[in-house]
Amino acid sequence: MGRQVAIASAGFSEHASKRSDVNMAELVSEAVEDCLKNAPGVEFDDIDAFVNGNMPAFEGSNMPELWMTDWMGARNKPLLRVTTGGTTGGTVAIAGYYTVAAGLPKVDTVLAIAFEQQSQGDTSVGLASVAYGEISVLNTLGIPYDQLSRLLSAGAAIGVAAYQATNYMAKTKITEEDLARVVVQNRHNAAKTWWTHLKMPDLTVEEVLDTPYISFPLRYGMVCPASDGACAMLFTTEEKAKDMCEIPVYVNGVASVANETAVLGYDGSGSGQIDPSDQIGAMKSSDLAYYQAGISFPRKEIDYAEVYSPFPNQELMWVEKLGLFEETTAPKMYESGVTSLKGELPINCSGGVNATNAIGASAMERPAEAALQIMGKADNQVPKTVHTSIGHGWGGSLNLCTLMVMSDEPKRKWR
Amino acid sequence: MSEDKVIVVNKGMVRADYNFWVGRYLDKFFDNLENKKLVGNKCSKCGDVFVPPRKICGKCNVVIPLEENWVDLPDTGILKNYTITPYRVNDRTDRKAKDLLLGMIQIDGSNTAIVYRLLNLKPDEIKTGMKVKIEWAEKTKGDPSDIKGFVKM
Amino acid sequence: MEKVGIVGYYQVKLHSDANYGRYEMIFEAVRGAVDMAGLKKKDISTVISCTNDYYDGRTISNCFTVEVGGGYMADESKVEMDGAHAVLYGLMRILSGNHKLAVVWGGSMPSCFPYHSTRLFETDPTWERPLAYVNDITSAGFQMRSYMEKYGVSAEEIASVAVKNRKNAAKNPLALAEVQNSSINVKDVLASDIYADPVTELMVAQPCDGVAAILLAPERQALNITDNPVWITGVGFSQEAYYLGDRNLYESKSMELAGKTAFESAGIKDPKSEIDVAELFEAYAHEELILSEALGLAEKGKGASINSEINGDISINPSGGATGGNPPCATGLIRIIEAARQLRGEANGYQVNNAKKAIASGQIGMCAQNNILFVLEGGN
Repeated sequence: MGRQVAIASAGFSEHASKRSDVNMAELVSEAVEDCLKNAPGVEFDDIDAFVNGNMPAFEGSNMPELWMTDWMGARNKPLLRVTTGGTTGGTVAIAGYYTVAAGLPKVDTVLAIAFEQQSQGDTSVGLASVAYGEISVLNTLGIPYDQLSRLLSAGAAIGVAAYQATNYMAKTKITEEDLARVVVQNRHNAAKTWWTHLKMPDLTVEEVLDTPYISFPLRYGMVCPASDGACAMLFTTEEKAKDMCEIPVYVNGVASVANETAVLGYDGSGSGQIDPSDQIGAMKSSDLAYYQAGISFPRKEIDYAEVYSPFPNQELMWVEKLGLFEETTAPKMYESGVTSLKGELPINCSGGVNATNAIGASAMERPAEAALQIMGKADNQVPKTVHTSIGHGWGGSLNLCTLMVMSDEPKRKWR
Repeated sequence: MSEDKVIVVNKGMVRADYNFWVGRYLDKFFDNLENKKLVGNKCSKCGDVFVPPRKICGKCNVVIPLEENWVDLPDTGILKNYTITPYRVNDRTDRKAKDLLLGMIQIDGSNTAIVYRLLNLKPDEIKTGMKVKIEWAEKTKGDPSDIKGFVKM
Repeated sequence: MEKVGIVGYYQVKLHSDANYGRYEMIFEAVRGAVDMAGLKKKDISTVISCTNDYYDGRTISNCFTVEVGGGYMADESKVEMDGAHAVLYGLMRILSGNHKLAVVWGGSMPSCFPYHSTRLFETDPTWERPLAYVNDITSAGFQMRSYMEKYGVSAEEIASVAVKNRKNAAKNPLALAEVQNSSINVKDVLASDIYADPVTELMVAQPCDGVAAILLAPERQALNITDNPVWITGVGFSQEAYYLGDRNLYESKSMELAGKTAFESAGIKDPKSEIDVAELFEAYAHEELILSEALGLAEKGKGASINSEINGDISINPSGGATGGNPPCATGLIRIIEAARQLRGEANGYQVNNAKKAIASGQIGMCAQNNILFVLEGGN
């Protein structure tokens, strides 16, 4: 049952804080065009099915893939929509993988598209509405909804990330400099990648620390932007990939294990996580995905990683949870250059989510860039040869995670 | 489920504004609409004319370049379909009111249809295939409401 | 395509306003399905949910349902279309070889949100949405008129479909109480209030509260779990053009393409004679005719000539179909469950005799823009 899947191409649209020159459909078509441009010889006729996703609260549009059918080239073709919040891009990529792996009749080549045009809506409302239903119990204590909304805006993404950060910092005894260092590395990298949002080649640690706090320990200068942008990836079979690109990238492991919800656990849905920097869902995802990919020693066998970290503390946390570094040692790896472009295990050479965050697309841009590094086609290409890489995503109420493990050799193990 | 459970209902209002970028093709279309002119664009491969204009022809999967293939369209068209409904739907709710007469009109020279109100017509006067013509709004704003509706020609 | 087995399912009783909360409903459905299969939470390898952020009034509508949906420490994802599309994703996860048991659940509670408004959010925001003339109500009117005028089908013939489905729903204990009516007739349907001329209220599949869940397993595991598995032997899905003006509303191109792929992969050459039961998601009475014709169960325009009663030429919607209750995100999933019930001989009160092969469909979008069709076969 099942078959090997390869990535033949990846493409992006320009990302910016306001892509006012295009509507959502046109933004998506840019990424589709770029993806097909990078796989010359592939026509729309060769695409057998589509997968689409974004985080719909940000644009105020429900199931926009219905409207943008023609702009994706999907007319009269099979199309599936998946969306899971911050991990949407990752789940779209994973759904693209499954659509090929399943061997459905007449479906060999799949175009997966993830996007977000955040400038159309109010990002804080989009994020805060995760939990309106859950916090309504506070309404019964007499707190009106608009005040609860403000509480959630502080509590949503940034608030929970700050909570994660303080937990992590207590364990690792790091300082804000360590956090700022991650930001500087990402934004320098973004300056060398064409499609990114915050290109800051001259940013310094001092400049990052010289910005006001939003929520301790996260300062304004450390936080990801809100971007408009789209990403597309082309998945196909082992046989067809060989004709589509020079170095097919084989998807050897995928996982998206969910954890219980954080902090705001409703009485019916669980006790809530006590320490959101534990992330056992991410740890289990990496166990599962590495097992499928035949990886026993991630630190040694993975050459490159793109992890999902809109906030710098998360980058440090993820590279440990995903098994790349020992727990509490990540900050030193950043300090000593191990994770830089020329280091032993480069991380986020595209600038990561910290430099560009079109939320629906971000979790797909991680495996997309990680795949391009294997192909040797990334804009900010690392000098060493990349054989195996991973692309990771995170989101939800701190409880969702996606992971895709890729390699230049087909190594998928079936039980 | 027990019928005598107490269910607490919390009502509240959170405001969320959305503004949609229309893109450069529709930008040009709405500029023309404000001047009470209809424009569309044409796929050079299959010849289909779209109103409103589009970047992509869905049949051929080709891009229609922004500066090319614009087509001036007349105010007239054919009624392809129609319906009559008492429902009014908006972003927050729906309600019933006086009957709304709506038609799907294919503008002469185009290959798709647009949906607008049919004005000054009684339900039994409406027939598929009849010729209709735009009635423009008095004050145009450069948005879809510049076309007030269609009347029988 | 390798066979994948349906080994358990559960649908909650449909209500227009259910007197319980979302999480309890989801738990009831998923737990019920897992119990039916005699399995445990630990057996669950992957969970695919189907909910809609706008219907649930919250973003990331799946993240708080992880625990009640059986997804804790399971490989979890969410489809945002019809429940039948979520079954497709569950099916793909099984066929990939990565998973041995998939739970698929879906549903929503329209009693808690303005249904037509959220459907309006699906429309083109740059052109159609500001005026709201194109919405799910007016689309239904356009579709029915287009079908009637193209083929000369009468309103009576279409109303008969609504009558049949409401009578069938009366035999289905899980259907919506308001819809169940064993003495309804064509005149009643035609005399009901106008929805969007020529559609009347009683021709419309009414949105209601509901959640359903289904369990899928590969062949070998399915045979270990149950003596009476139902096999999914074929699937096809397709999405047509979006703008109503780009489409021929009197036919369903997407269902034609979906059906073609599904029948080919299941080895069905003549669906009319080989299929015993069809559970089709018909959002309106006329849609059942359009979709039947698209599947080759009748010639174009002749859908009304099929004897689609229970134990007729081909029993269409013996459960009452979507007319029997339309919980958004669950309706197509419930069609699959009802088809499986028929093949297992468990459709008490509305059982089709000797049901061996069935089809089940789901849809999403205005006038069924995206259709999905499954072919199912009984194990015994």
